[in-house]
Amino acid sequence: MNKTAWIIGATTVTTIAAGCASMSPGPAVDWNKVPATKVTLFYPGQSSYQWLRSEAHAGAAKETARGDACTSCHDDPKEEQRQGAKILNGKHPLEPQAAALKGKNGHIDMTVQAAYDDKNAYLRFQYKTNNPNHPGNDYPGYRFDGKEWKAFGAMRLDKNVVAGKTPAVYENRLNIMLDDGKVPGFANQGCWLTCHDGEREMQKEGTKEEVQANELMKALKKSDVRKYLPASRTDVNDWRSGKSLDEIAKIKASGGFVDLMQWRAHRSDKAGGADDGYVLEYRNFDKGSNHFASNMDSKTKQPKFMFDPAKFGGKAFAANDYGSKKELILIKGVNAVPFDPNAGWKEGDILPQYVLSAEDAKGSAADNKAFSTWKDGLQTVVFVRPLGLVNDDDKTIKVGNVYNVGFAVHDDKMTGRGHHVSYTKTLGIGTKADIQAVKLN
Amino acid sequence: MMPRALITVAAVAGLGLSVPAFAVDAEEIFKENDCHKCHHATKAKKGPSLAKISAKYKEKKLNEKEALKHMTKGGKVKLDDGTEEDHKVIDTKDVAVQTAVAKWMLTR
Repeated sequence: MNKTAWIIGATTVTTIAAGCASMSPGPAVDWNKVPATKVTLFYPGQSSYQWLRSEAHAGAAKETARGDACTSCHDDPKEEQRQGAKILNGKHPLEPQAAALKGKNGHIDMTVQAAYDDKNAYLRFQYKTNNPNHPGNDYPGYRFDGKEWKAFGAMRLDKNVVAGKTPAVYENRLNIMLDDGKVPGFANQGCWLTCHDGEREMQKEGTKEEVQANELMKALKKSDVRKYLPASRTDVNDWRSGKSLDEIAKIKASGGFVDLMQWRAHRSDKAGGADDGYVLEYRNFDKGSNHFASNMDSKTKQPKFMFDPAKFGGKAFAANDYGSKKELILIKGVNAVPFDPNAGWKEGDILPQYVLSAEDAKGSAADNKAFSTWKDGLQTVVFVRPLGLVNDDDKTIKVGNVYNVGFAVHDDKMTGRGHHVSYTKTLGIGTKADIQAVKLN
Repeated sequence: MMPRALITVAAVAGLGLSVPAFAVDAEEIFKENDCHKCHHATKAKKGPSLAKISAKYKEKKLNEKEALKHMTKGGKVKLDDGTEEDHKVIDTKDVAVQTAVAKWMLTR
């Protein structure tokens, strides 16, 4: 275990970067000296690319289709608060599952700070989580039913959660979507370019049969539809109309993709990382290995790792541990040992679905580091993004450049579309923008 | 920042002063109805600014009753590009509230 001193707030906080001996500590940043930009995120429901271009988007279908910025109409200082509250009020067509979201906040006030040095860009975020009593780092597990290990827990909108068949469990996340100006429309409409009818939990969600029959999905070996950019389809209004892999490769080579960085309270935080991915024809991870990997052996249908009882206080946990102060995170080199099928498993034992390892994170997928604290509902996350990356699945961050960015927070047991999102902002590395990264001395 | 306009109206029009009055946040109702997406206070958006509407009404000696027609009956409006669209109808049938919003608009 390596202790990495990291100034994440006004005072020095020692982050236990578990199991990441190779992780290099960042510089001490006095964030009190870095300007903070307020960004409000709101709950968008099912406001897809297609819905925004339909007559249901009253008075704005034509304007959206011609590429006008969301903020050309949504420019009131309280716009996000108002829209988020409306969408969750139970009467709005963009959230047909509002009844399952009782108590959910319509918006999140976030502060964003940015800095850079010769090696990295640093982005610091602070916001209040909806639950002031838990850091949101639980994740669905595999529960032993006496015979088999079966998935247990899901996000709040999952049909089994809504039906009361499994508990609401999901990790919090903070996402950054970044464009270097090469994605048509992103500067004006941001993340909404990637959100489409047919995707998971969206309107007209693609059925299993439809996905299996789709040429692009078959070529990608995917079983569902996730974020994509319009340029990857021949008909921007139909997820089924995927272009060929050759055509998509050409778009990627010309930079027509957005970078997607995700800090995950369960699956990346304790490994000191944030995923590095991109969106083009799908929501992809970069080449290499993430900070997390599946904990299910596909051949034996049993977990690969269990907790070390000496470190965790038991070899597994139980359903009532969810929501408690116990951290239910399995980390190689810290509290994980190889799974022992003869360890006397009993019904109700639960093991995590993923195992973390900073050591196993490799390649372009492991470019980003991230550090966090959570105290009394205040979440602080610092992303560390190397400057000058040249991987073909990365946007290169350079001093003097301005980028279009969109932010998303998955909070309070939500994933997929169940997030809060921001309108597009600009990020300038040492140059004027909505969010200006300042040079560190 | 401009102070929020609170307009006090009778709870039910025509019931007289014995009915407790309540404050209508006309600006908030205007924005709750998404009117601001097309009508900015000072700049032209899809629709004319409130300042322009207000000036036009003054010039033509019109009052809130004319504004109420647009707010409650909808109808076609002509846009700068020559096309026509249905004007949105305010989502309240309370005449007192409608009037408060109309008066607020015409004082921008």
